[in-house]
Amino acid sequence: MALSKEIYAAFEAVVGKNNISQDPGVLQTYRCRAPQSSAHYGPYDHTTPTPQAVILPGSTKEVQGVVRLCNKYKIKFKCSTTFWSAHGYIGSDYAVQIDMRRMNGVEIDEKNMIAIIQPYAIAATVQAEAMKHGLTCNIPGVGCSSAIIANTASWGGPGPSSVFTGNAYENLMCMEYVCSSGEILETGSAGYGAGWTCGEGVGPSLKAIIRGGQGTRGELGICTKMSIKLSPWPGHATLETVGTIPAYRASNMENFRAYCIDCPSWEAWGKAVMKINDNNLLYLGHRQFSMFGNEVKAAMLEIITDPEKQMADLPALMADPVVKKNNDNMAIEFHIILAGFSAKDLAWKEAALDEILKEFGCWKDEWFLEPEHEDYLKSYLMRLGHKNLNYVMIGGYEGCFGMDAANQPHTCQLIEKAFAIHKEAQVTGTYAAAVGGDTAMGSLGGHGGGGGPMGWEFFSHFDPHDPESIKGTAEYHDRGPLKFMKEYGLGVEMGHSNANCRKPDGYAFSQEEHNAKLSTLPGTNPFIYQWYVREYMNPNHLGDSYYETCDPEAVKNAVIDVNAETGLR
Amino acid sequence: MALNDFIPMQERCSNCSFCKWIPFDKVKSVRFAENCPAVVHGGFNTYAARGRFQMGLAIAKGELDYTDEMARITHECLDCGACDVACKVCRYNLEPLDHNRELKHDALLKGHILPAQLKMLDSFKAEKTLVVGAKKADRTKWAEGIEWAKKPEVLFFPGCKYSYDKKLQKTARNAAQLLLKAGVKLGYLGDAEMCCAGRLYQMGFFEQFDKRAEANIKAIEKSGVKTIVTPCSDCYHAFKRLYAAKGLKVEVLHVVEYLDRMLREGTLKFTKTVDMTVTYHDPCHLGRQGEPYEAWEGHEKKILNQVHTWEPRRPRYNGSKGIYEEPRNILKAIPGVKLVEMERIKEYSWCCGAGSGCSVTDKEFSEWTAKERIEEANSTGAEALVTACPWCKDNFEKAGGIKVVDIIDLALKAL
Ligand SMILES: Cc1cc2nc3c(=O)[nH]c(=O)nc-3n(C[C@H](O)[C@H](O)[C@H](O)COP(=O)(O)OP(=O)(O)OC[C@H]3O[C@@H](n4cnc5c(N)ncnc54)[C@H](O)[C@@H]3O)c2cc1C
Repeated sequence: MALSKEIYAAFEAVVGKNNISQDPGVLQTYRCRAPQSSAHYGPYDHTTPTPQAVILPGSTKEVQGVVRLCNKYKIKFKCSTTFWSAHGYIGSDYAVQIDMRRMNGVEIDEKNMIAIIQPYAIAATVQAEAMKHGLTCNIPGVGCSSAIIANTASWGGPGPSSVFTGNAYENLMCMEYVCSSGEILETGSAGYGAGWTCGEGVGPSLKAIIRGGQGTRGELGICTKMSIKLSPWPGHATLETVGTIPAYRASNMENFRAYCIDCPSWEAWGKAVMKINDNNLLYLGHRQFSMFGNEVKAAMLEIITDPEKQMADLPALMADPVVKKNNDNMAIEFHIILAGFSAKDLAWKEAALDEILKEFGCWKDEWFLEPEHEDYLKSYLMRLGHKNLNYVMIGGYEGCFGMDAANQPHTCQLIEKAFAIHKEAQVTGTYAAAVGGDTAMGSLGGHGGGGGPMGWEFFSHFDPHDPESIKGTAEYHDRGPLKFMKEYGLGVEMGHSNANCRKPDGYAFSQEEHNAKLSTLPGTNPFIYQWYVREYMNPNHLGDSYYETCDPEAVKNAVIDVNAETGLR
Repeated sequence: MALNDFIPMQERCSNCSFCKWIPFDKVKSVRFAENCPAVVHGGFNTYAARGRFQMGLAIAKGELDYTDEMARITHECLDCGACDVACKVCRYNLEPLDHNRELKHDALLKGHILPAQLKMLDSFKAEKTLVVGAKKADRTKWAEGIEWAKKPEVLFFPGCKYSYDKKLQKTARNAAQLLLKAGVKLGYLGDAEMCCAGRLYQMGFFEQFDKRAEANIKAIEKSGVKTIVTPCSDCYHAFKRLYAAKGLKVEVLHVVEYLDRMLREGTLKFTKTVDMTVTYHDPCHLGRQGEPYEAWEGHEKKILNQVHTWEPRRPRYNGSKGIYEEPRNILKAIPGVKLVEMERIKEYSWCCGAGSGCSVTDKEFSEWTAKERIEEANSTGAEALVTACPWCKDNFEKAGGIKVVDIIDLALKAL
């Protein structure tokens, strides 16, 4: 069913003629080609459905107007900002896409150490504005191109600096929120007259209408304003970098030290990470460049830090004995930034770090001790502005495994088994890049706060232009990581974490399909709870199936499937 | 290449939207963090390089035909190349700028030409210039009275804008005379000079560009010079990158490079003080697109099963070798001039709004783009916005709000 002229005109009256389009070319650019974004339900070779219109509201009032019309005419809608991942796109034929880019405001309240942001405030701009006030924000692991509100709504925002700044969902204070019903909700302290500073006002917490393990992903409404906690920034008012593109490197982070820490074993790695974290040494902690693959990472570092080099140089670099040695040194590594709130503070942290490294036989990586490389690491991790390197190998990657290392010693024992599975797939098949079995990356923040590594996301680099490469990668994810995670009881497999959210053809699940899938899972209650929340917040069901709900009626006669592949997160 | 040849790139774009922002390491404020005038102005993803890839893919695969709106959006691209730079902070196998141009070319081939473009094309055919209303017979008037070298070694190529725009002609004269006075054996094609056609290329008129370039290359070769010097950034880009790809062998210099060279060699010295705080606008086709041409012939090659590379290794144009320091050296050498930088400079500079003919075909967008830049310039506290391109200067002046100075005129003041 196409949007009628009358309905289009009604939307147009709300946002103005220039901020709505039904042109086929415009609509095409609001469809996600799934293999091009790590969608975590495939990768599959499809494009998500075409929206009926794309709408760009410029204010809360306009958002409300649009949502009210969607209710009136029972049109599904999905709001989004940077549109990087599949969850930002609509999942049915009779739906409109709402692009939040006109609302990009950032306001810093220095005294209260908060930022009041609008939906299109990306982490880079929030951080840049905060730095002027001696503050900074959490930059999610997806990188600073991501909008903070969207990140809070979609993944919770663990990232390299979360160990110090907290994850996105932990930093959420107050919200202005247009419910799917069209009502405007303000959470937080409005009742106390304290502006945007108090996390909650009277009554139960309503933060979960946006955040959660993977957020509500635009299902329950549209957040139009949010206040978030900021963290102290013991650096200059701007991040200054020198060097030639793409090898920009920090030139004014004197109060910080960045290291790559190499470890003799995974056991030492785990223990060192834990102890460093227990002693509160970190401003930032991450395992980053391993995402390229353990057989190529030192060579890739040579490429990305040297403007003259490029991917064609990879074989020669891999064969270079010096690069090989560097690669061996950094086989089992992680990256950290220490911040000095005073010279004494930094000196103490350095001394404590040295002692911990000695205890576990770890060492500071020599390549990264070169001042230029250290400066590169500083700005790279602090701003996290090169995250499209995730796709550098060919143009597509999908994350898999995702062992949550809250139980760190357990996963450290298992990780080498996972590497072997990953490597074998690269040897027996040609669909993914053969870059080594260890492509595991993650932040040392911990999803639930606290220390230890978070989910180790393994990268499968594939070619989104090659159907065989897409298909082969999807098949491998089914038979390798999914089986492994289940066998060892390690929770949701990352590459399938959205398998209940979007179907292999790009469409959303219907409620009946969700009921059938979710009612048989061990532990259905959260989905029933979400059903009640959704019934209240979004009575006309104008979202899609990223917010997983199960009708309580469906559970009554359901038989629990103890072997169910995906479940709670 | 045809649009179909871009399918691998269209499918390998990761939709990250980096093409909408300056390189993130350089972001200093929310106000001046974006880089693509088209998407900031137009709003929809479609205007950004990633959207053009998406739309282009559907067209290349025959799933979509151009609507008028699609054609309009396709042409609403300044060819500034900011997306290209931002993309290549991380990616090594995408060419967003080439794709933007191919999409324009494809639209034109399928008959989607804007009315104002038609007028430009008519002028090009009849008067050999894209400056609508200008007459071929008037092209050399700016140079009346200049005594060119009898046996020139260096060719002065002012280009259409300096030749026809009455406000700018003096600058061209000044530049030529300065070089002649310094002993440069400078010549001029005179009647034989015609539009470089770089702008046609930017607009996607590849066939028309090819024809003109070939004729111009013949004329240049016939003149026997070893070097071309031009004060126009568009001409510079045309000669240095596009003509070089077609076999032009002579050295190509922008006036700022020539002056910088003279300063370093000691053949030029600024003696007078010019008390002025200025900021410098990097013209797109001198800055990030002013990189030298490198010949390449090869094909794509996969290594390590799937890793995508080229054989032999392919030249990488990402703005790293553009002309940034030469104009700044000149400004720094002028006694009394204080240079204050804007937030978006060098390879991640914001466009003036005149590129790809948009100052003619899409006036509102073009002027809006210029105004954005002027606001940024004003935020530095500078008294004047200096630039090294007549198109930029003209566009900024039309937008108003700041004093705009050609770097040649500023240099002359100090002599
Ligand atoms: C390469 C890659 C790596 C990633 N790594 C990480 C990581 O390390 N850590 C992490 O936390 N996440 C990660 N993710 C997931 C990521 O967090 C989200 O995709 C991203 O933060 C969303 O930001 P965006 O600006 O692209 O949002 P969008 O794609 O625009 O939106 C994301 C979701 O939020 C919803 N949403 C957007 N705006 C609003 C609003 N105003 N109100 C309500 N709902 C809204 C959308 O409907 C959508 O479902 C990764 C994703 C990719 C593609």
